[in-house]
Amino acid sequence: MIVLNIGTMKNIVIPKPSSESLIAQLGSLYSVLKNVNFGERLEFDLSSLDWVIPLLILPISAYINETQSKFRIDECSIKGYLEKISFPRGVSSISSFQRQIQKHKSYIPISILDKKEKIDRERLEALFSEKIFKTLGNVAGAQNAICYPIAELVTNIFEHSKKDSGFIFGQFYSTKNYLDICIVDCGRGLTKTYKEEKGLILTDAEAISEAMKGNSVKKDKERGYGIRTSKNIICKAFKGGGFILLSGSCALVSVRQKEKLVSLPNFYWQGTIITYRIPKPTASIDISSYIE
Amino acid sequence: MKTKKSQNSATIKINKLLAPIISSRDVAEVLEDTIKKTDNKSVVLDFSNVKFISRSAAHALLLLKEKFESKVLNKKELSFINADNDVAEMLRIVAANRAFPRVKKPEFNPEKTDITSLLKEATA
Repeated sequence: MIVLNIGTMKNIVIPKPSSESLIAQLGSLYSVLKNVNFGERLEFDLSSLDWVIPLLILPISAYINETQSKFRIDECSIKGYLEKISFPRGVSSISSFQRQIQKHKSYIPISILDKKEKIDRERLEALFSEKIFKTLGNVAGAQNAICYPIAELVTNIFEHSKKDSGFIFGQFYSTKNYLDICIVDCGRGLTKTYKEEKGLILTDAEAISEAMKGNSVKKDKERGYGIRTSKNIICKAFKGGGFILLSGSCALVSVRQKEKLVSLPNFYWQGTIITYRIPKPTASIDISSYIE
Repeated sequence: MKTKKSQNSATIKINKLLAPIISSRDVAEVLEDTIKKTDNKSVVLDFSNVKFISRSAAHALLLLKEKFESKVLNKKELSFINADNDVAEMLRIVAANRAFPRVKKPEFNPEKTDITSLLKEATA
């Protein structure tokens, strides 16, 4: 990554991702936002990109929207693609989502979900899920398996982030037969949520661990399942799926049946980023044993 | 209000109020307002054309059912009809978990590493 200081705004040249693996995507995000003070206005230069990955493009979109940062795509060879996915502003209404998918049939736009618009937000989320479902094809149980993690993880954002908006984006790789989904918020993150709701002083790694153990900040004992069950559906029900949850300066990486808590020195994301990969299902999927 | 009244009960068609994929706990809030406005003692929630309900939404809906059924004033019985297999199964799983909550907390023992080591290992 090349960082130039132009006046008071840092210019960040976004490098080409080294590969499409989830771990490489995390590496790309880390290299772009390392040494950034979250909230400072930046200028993102996307000129050298010739393809994008959700774990890079969605957090950058969210960051631009959150901080009113600038971006440069005029000399970018995938400028057309970025416009088709509505980078960076996204779409936030049902009509604009429908217009975009009507116009650019094989592209899923970046969607911004608004907490206050309860019914319309659910309808926009439903359109997103249905588009993903249609893209991945119809095998028995696929709709449940696709909708479950989207619903639970987006719900989690609105219940805990204390922010009014969340971002979601998906990209299907037709030659590789898998789909990446990314969900982002710029809210208070897991560590601050545990501190403010339960008085627990935790590191980012400890906060992620508590979330994965089902330690809900809500009173109901049957709550706190959303993230863990979603991860299990992604990684186990979809055989070969992978999952990353990042909050603050730590990420949980769950790929190929291995789980790692990864520290991200000199990096801080205020909020939560979740990305996951699901292979296109070829046989029926039953998620009931993972729901708990 | 999208309700259909019979002699003893009011039927609420959920798909007229909510998205076909029901995700959030807000479902309870929206339905509660509609149910309160009915003057029947029995309210039927019709799930026709609902394609999916999340675990969170199913949990909120079951809590709402308990809330109305345990009221002293304005008590109402809630029942569910026309749920497809997946929606019905989700409601059953969540109801079972509510009746018999899991006692043991799940284990979570990930390996700890840093991003540099992870990237090195991934490219090795």
